[in-house]
Amino acid sequence: MATVAELLDQGVKAYTRGESAEAERFWEQALELDPKNERVRAYLKQVRGELPPRQGAPEPSPEPAPRPEPEPAPRYEPEPAPRPEPTFAPSPWDSGPTEVATVLVEEGTGLDLDAVGEKSDIRSLVPDQKSAAKSPAPGEVAVWMEGARELFALGDFSGSLEMIERILRVDPTHAEARAYLRQNESTLVAMYESKLGPLSGVPRLAIHAEEVMWLNLDHRAGFLLAQVDGTVTLDDLFALSGLPRLDTARILASLFAEGVIR
Amino acid sequence: MNENEPFIGIDLGTTNSVVATVIDGVPRVIASRTGQTLTPSVVAVARNGKRLVGHMAKRQAITNPENTAYAAKRLIGRRWGSPEVEDARKALPYEVVAGPEGNDIRAVLGGRTFAIPELSALVLAELKADAEAFFGRRVTKAVITVPAYFNDGQRQGTKDAGRIAGLEVVRIINEPTSAALAYGFGKQMEKKVCVIDLGGGTFDVSILDVGKSVYDVIAVGGDTYLGGEDFDRRVMDWLVFSFAQEHQGIDLRQDKMALQRLRDAAERAKIELSEAPQAAIHLPFLASGAEGKAAVHLDRQLSREKLEELTKDLVDRTIQVAERTLRDAGVRVGQIGEVLLVGGMTRMPRVQQAVRHHFGREPSRGVHPEEVVALGAAIQAHALLHPQKGKEVLLLDVTPQNLGIMVVGGYFSTVIPRNTTVPTSQSHLFTTVLDNQSSVRIAVLQGASDKAVENELLGEFVLEGIRPARRGEVEIEINFDISADGIVGVSARDSGTGSRQSITVTATSGLTEAEMRRILEENLDEMLTRRQVGDFERLRDRTQAVIAEIEGLSPRVLEALAKSKFGKDAVSKAEDVVGRAREAIQARDLQQMIAVEEQLDRALQLFKGLAAGGAPGQKGG
Repeated sequence: MATVAELLDQGVKAYTRGESAEAERFWEQALELDPKNERVRAYLKQVRGELPPRQGAPEPSPEPAPRPEPEPAPRYEPEPAPRPEPTFAPSPWDSGPTEVATVLVEEGTGLDLDAVGEKSDIRSLVPDQKSAAKSPAPGEVAVWMEGARELFALGDFSGSLEMIERILRVDPTHAEARAYLRQNESTLVAMYESKLGPLSGVPRLAIHAEEVMWLNLDHRAGFLLAQVDGTVTLDDLFALSGLPRLDTARILASLFAEGVIR
Repeated sequence: MNENEPFIGIDLGTTNSVVATVIDGVPRVIASRTGQTLTPSVVAVARNGKRLVGHMAKRQAITNPENTAYAAKRLIGRRWGSPEVEDARKALPYEVVAGPEGNDIRAVLGGRTFAIPELSALVLAELKADAEAFFGRRVTKAVITVPAYFNDGQRQGTKDAGRIAGLEVVRIINEPTSAALAYGFGKQMEKKVCVIDLGGGTFDVSILDVGKSVYDVIAVGGDTYLGGEDFDRRVMDWLVFSFAQEHQGIDLRQDKMALQRLRDAAERAKIELSEAPQAAIHLPFLASGAEGKAAVHLDRQLSREKLEELTKDLVDRTIQVAERTLRDAGVRVGQIGEVLLVGGMTRMPRVQQAVRHHFGREPSRGVHPEEVVALGAAIQAHALLHPQKGKEVLLLDVTPQNLGIMVVGGYFSTVIPRNTTVPTSQSHLFTTVLDNQSSVRIAVLQGASDKAVENELLGEFVLEGIRPARRGEVEIEINFDISADGIVGVSARDSGTGSRQSITVTATSGLTEAEMRRILEENLDEMLTRRQVGDFERLRDRTQAVIAEIEGLSPRVLEALAKSKFGKDAVSKAEDVVGRAREAIQARDLQQMIAVEEQLDRALQLFKGLAAGGAPGQKGG
């Protein structure tokens, strides 16, 4: 039986092929398995056209930011979904999909740090049991790339990043994927950082120290949390963490959102 | 000088550094801006390019080892290829390379090459900044301590570090002397004092002859690779081993983040055990669980007995080294009038007990052992800069090691003995060793060994034109002259012909004057850049706050405008300026941010007005 992640993936592929009904079917199955999955809900709303059009959104720029150089990617338009400007945080003028905006920032439930682990160069102690990336079927990279573009256009930068990382695992030199990687990362970093407040701020534990062990954290979040001692600033934490900026920003944003630190 | 000008004494340690001063006649340590009295002597370039000094640098030392420099003191003033440098290179995780002249050392951090005095200067600059925050004004004068065995090059390297940090080093004094000063010796008593200094990375034993304001370091010994970090490592190993037993062989040594937390926790527990019989080590979410399971915690109780068991051989080593130093100096335990404990590790009850047992007397430990050296330096700075007749002990600059020349058979002949007050001038007569010898090679050396090859070569020259004569008939006068600035002039003169040759030896850390100028200029640039970064960060934080406020008001503004025909363009203009502000933040463009700041403020004021009073058309606007 397919997992939620696989169903999500199959849905995205179908959607990027222009098969909206098929995509809807996959995502509905995913929702049955995980009724609280906000991302699935957001995709379903999108595919069912439940999202109101954005009001007052700025016109798409003639050259969207993620366009790679020197090989401009062909524009993919399976559905007439409006391509938003790469925003950094929900804007009041993007007054349409408030739910989506929330989903984008508070992605998933709890501390969904698996994606962080993929990119971190600090490996876990147990050798990774996952098999090496399988060689993709012919044309699959192109489908993933289209998916990444589409998700980016939908404002799902985390989803787009996942697709990009999948491409780069099989083709690390993929120029367009690298361009999207940079754009997704900088956008996500900006989004997460906007949740942190001024980087000169000093975060503090918002719960009793004894309660920490009842949280659901991974060891990277545990490390960062251990550095929060009421003297270091957020900016210091970025320097201390040893993790890529995106990972640090994402973990800290999650710790804030969970009410672990304030 | 201004009587109220602040001054500081600095203990620039291998592992930790401390800054102190004298306030109303009382020496006291200056806490850092974050409240700590010890500043780790660690410098790093973080992964995000930020330069870190002190606690911040130490806290990422294990996760970012190749860009974190510690124990720079082991390298300062040393020559590339020397045994000490080779030993240090084996132990240091960061890259150490030869300097441009090929005979000194550079460290590579974050792709940039640092002279060793530059690294020490970053620590000194941090201490200087702490002192300036304490006094509320600039501090430019300092006394800095160094180990008694430091030679002229190492002392000069420390002075260079001070200069780079913007400090005038008014005196370099020996660490054990400084400790003895802080304990108040030398005023009333005459006795031999043994200073046991067990710090973070090194162990030094010094025997001083103290009396009538004279502090003569008569013997030094130690182990430059024995200190508190070795004790921490034992605790870490114990934690790693017991954790692996409990969690199906999870090896925490493979995880840098876990190791960093373990190191910090081991040090904390060790310190706690100096006061308490038990210490709890609690590290939640320390490592990934096996086979993708949830992250696992570490929970251990460490007892003082266990710590003593884990470190017994280290404590035994300290006593063996002390014993050997006394033996080499020809001093019996019974001749030692006082034993001073210096360095944080001497807080450990087992260490105190071992010292007590060996020396047969209670050691002095009335002052915080990790602060005592800095306090002594502050007392000395106070005496130098605010002299009060008959009240203060004033140490004189002395030669740290014997100075002399190489003589026949490869031996070292001392011309100026160690601890001679400078300035000084002394001459010795030598003779030729061969019949009709026409020239003689003068090798100027510094050190404590009888064998020339075991001492440091400061320079050499050849005296020619010696009159032909049987060996031993020609007298050659060798003169050593040391100026108040520590510049050594050596001359050789054939008293028969008057033929003369000379050389001037200036202590050098390996940094040329041109390099020093370049570093000082770079530091200025760095300061300006930092200031710009600081300005950017302050403005970015403010801009983000204004954007958030505008966005917070937006729903009410839209609601108000919906009922009016006017003011529609206010929203699009605000959107435009917010967009430009965000672009400027992302591009880290300070000028652009300054340019939009005022427009952003105007947009906020307009929104506040609209949100409070409705659309312009509704309230006569």
